[in-house]
Amino acid sequence: MFGLIKTWKALEARGIMGINRRNADYVLKYNKRHLYPIVDDKIITKERAIKAGIHVPEMYGIIETEKQIEKLDQIIGNRNDFVIKPAQGAGGDGIMVIADRFEDRYRTVSGKIISHEEIEHQISSILTGLYSLGGHRDRALIEYRVTPDQIFKSISYEGVPDIRIIVLMGYPVMAMLRLPTRQSGGKANLHQGAIGVGVDLATGLTLRGTWLNKIISKHPDTTNAVDGVQLPNWDGFMKLAASCYELCGLGYIGVDMVLDQDKGPLILELNARPGLNIQIANDCGLTQRTHAIEAHLEALAKDGVKEDAEQRVRVSQGLFGHVHPQ
Amino acid sequence: MRSLTLHLKVLITVLVLLGVLVTAYQIFILGIPVTEDETDDLWNIDAKVEFVANAKDPVKVQMFVPPLNRDYVSLNESFISNNYGVSVNRADGNRKVTWSARRASSNQTLYYRLVLTKRYSNEKTTVKGPTFRDSLAVEGPEKVAAEALMAPIRQHSADVETFVSETIKRVNNLNDDNVKLLLAGDTSSMKKAQVIDLLLSIAHVPMEKVHTIRLVADTPQTPELWLRSFNGNDWLYFNPDTGEQGLPSDRLLWWTGDDNLITVDGGKKANVTFSMNNSEMNAIRLAKLTDENTDADFLEYSLYGLPLQTQQTFMIMVMIPIGVLVILVLRNLIGIQTLGTFTPVLIALAFRETQLGFGIMLFTVITALGLSLRSYLEHLKLQMLPRLSVVLTFVVVLIAAISLFSHKLGLERGLSVALFPMVILTMTIERLSITWEERGGGHAMKVAIGTLFAASLAHLLMMVPELVYFVFTFPAVLLILVGFMLAMGRYRGYRLTELVRFKAFVKADA
Repeated sequence: MFGLIKTWKALEARGIMGINRRNADYVLKYNKRHLYPIVDDKIITKERAIKAGIHVPEMYGIIETEKQIEKLDQIIGNRNDFVIKPAQGAGGDGIMVIADRFEDRYRTVSGKIISHEEIEHQISSILTGLYSLGGHRDRALIEYRVTPDQIFKSISYEGVPDIRIIVLMGYPVMAMLRLPTRQSGGKANLHQGAIGVGVDLATGLTLRGTWLNKIISKHPDTTNAVDGVQLPNWDGFMKLAASCYELCGLGYIGVDMVLDQDKGPLILELNARPGLNIQIANDCGLTQRTHAIEAHLEALAKDGVKEDAEQRVRVSQGLFGHVHPQ
Repeated sequence: MRSLTLHLKVLITVLVLLGVLVTAYQIFILGIPVTEDETDDLWNIDAKVEFVANAKDPVKVQMFVPPLNRDYVSLNESFISNNYGVSVNRADGNRKVTWSARRASSNQTLYYRLVLTKRYSNEKTTVKGPTFRDSLAVEGPEKVAAEALMAPIRQHSADVETFVSETIKRVNNLNDDNVKLLLAGDTSSMKKAQVIDLLLSIAHVPMEKVHTIRLVADTPQTPELWLRSFNGNDWLYFNPDTGEQGLPSDRLLWWTGDDNLITVDGGKKANVTFSMNNSEMNAIRLAKLTDENTDADFLEYSLYGLPLQTQQTFMIMVMIPIGVLVILVLRNLIGIQTLGTFTPVLIALAFRETQLGFGIMLFTVITALGLSLRSYLEHLKLQMLPRLSVVLTFVVVLIAAISLFSHKLGLERGLSVALFPMVILTMTIERLSITWEERGGGHAMKVAIGTLFAASLAHLLMMVPELVYFVFTFPAVLLILVGFMLAMGRYRGYRLTELVRFKAFVKADA
């Protein structure tokens, strides 16, 4: 009992944010419910992003009805690799990544050979809402397959590592690099076993990581050090993330981005209820940082000033950058 | 706290206050018992009337019976007599039963039986009484003696109350010559009462004789005489022998006035014996019974006013918020993961039919079998709706089979499963299997166990009879619950499981 109280106090002192606080003070406060569809439906997110000139993976086509599944061939054309996603999927579920095809068969990124029928069944499952939040009917999205930058080769196992930045009212608050592992099956979701690695907001240097709620500094599959890696084009990521506030209007979001070896930083999706494991990855609580941003916003409101994405990135980097690894 | 806005605080305060006040009103003002086990005394009074009838005359027996306008309420009253006509009439605040027969002979026995209890509500009935009366005529030496007694009484009293008690004290002073004269050698209570009456009448203070029965089990007794006087607001009761003021709470007023308890025309040797015993009865049932016998219908606007069938449904329904509260605490305070938000409550309701242990077993068996069917269907690549339909049908068949088997084996309990909500089970299976695929078997097991745990806890709490009674009787408690739920809506502290989840931070510090 006393141990629990001690843990409680220690967490409080370090400003660790719990689910209840995140929901009450941030998600409910800053995220208007009617804006949720923008982030919950990847197709809407993508359309908005394209309109705003933000880079996203190219969309090949949308399948909305069972009848349209026939058009799959037409949508794919003669491309060899593509990704099929549920528009309203959660947590990376229902995503099928085709890396190659030969004859009539397809090879997924994990090397499994599947038939055309299996792809059609997958799309059909997506349409019936198997993967969507709340089981509603859904749409399937077929888009460009991201090829991760070579820099991640040594610290990731299959899949595409992505970069998650938590953004409060347009100010990046905390960043994390998510690396798939063998256990996560190529997915970059922490609760499925991916590694989260903290990233310094100012420099783009990686810090230590978290794996299954533990603090680690080596990738369990490749045994290469995950800390001290310089992410390329870091300011690009920061600006991209900061500009997502204007894109969706939600005040507290997690922006998921990837680094394509040809196209550079791309936005994958936005999340209106970003997870809390990013704190473990950064070995730092969110609460103090969000409070700092809220104080900064208050000061700005007094002066009647508004900052653009670039200025916001500067503010965040000044406030939270240059952490010294312990 | 920044986030607990004034608005919410006010709302919570209002709701909690309202809940507490209504409940307090019910408990303290209406006097509704807090637990079901609370019992009230139920008195069974038998008055046995015996007399010898004259062979030739018609018989008419008149006896006073309690008017029941004070603190007691009658639940049942019966006049047991063979070949007698019975009628009850009221006169001067008394009630009188008249038994009559054209012909009767030799020993006769009549019974009067009364079942009564203390009046349930404590509301004061307004009473009326005389505050002035004319003096009784008195002449000669009695007049002198009475006036001689009056002078010091007047001197030593301030109001009606003290006047009466002073009078009684004087009359009980048997060494006083004036008293001796007035009593004329008869020191019975009856005679004393007469003298007191006389003295009081001279002062124009009204006085009434009251005949009471003591509510004591298994002791034979005769009516006890008390005196009472009206002071403008209330009746004041006095013991004519001791001057003691105030009627003890175990006295039942039987009749008032100078008349005898019983008068018999056409008979002789009339004798009345009282016997009484008490029993106990569930307080709320008693309240319902008294309710039907009085005008005080304070239960009318509670859930007890509903038809019995509906009451039973509501007894389940009012407990659902309690179950929801359990889920709320488990999820937001403890951090246990459950399948869906209110599925555990629905499962808990289903446990009502099956009992807990059997219910958990059934739930596990059906879900396990359903899951294996679901994983088999996965290979057939079916669409969601047809697949769900197949699972649902399978669940129905499974339940039918279990019922049949248990019936053949002589286990009647298996039949109760028929009401186990099948749709809940089907959805549980579907969701669990999706969780299984997406998050892995470990997580699915964790969620399933969490759900069962939450359901069991909710079920156990929803089945506590004292709690069911309390919430059903005092539904305003639900307002207090809503207040708590509102407060929980802004709870920002850690969940218990988060303390474990974020343990890495504490270790890093150490």
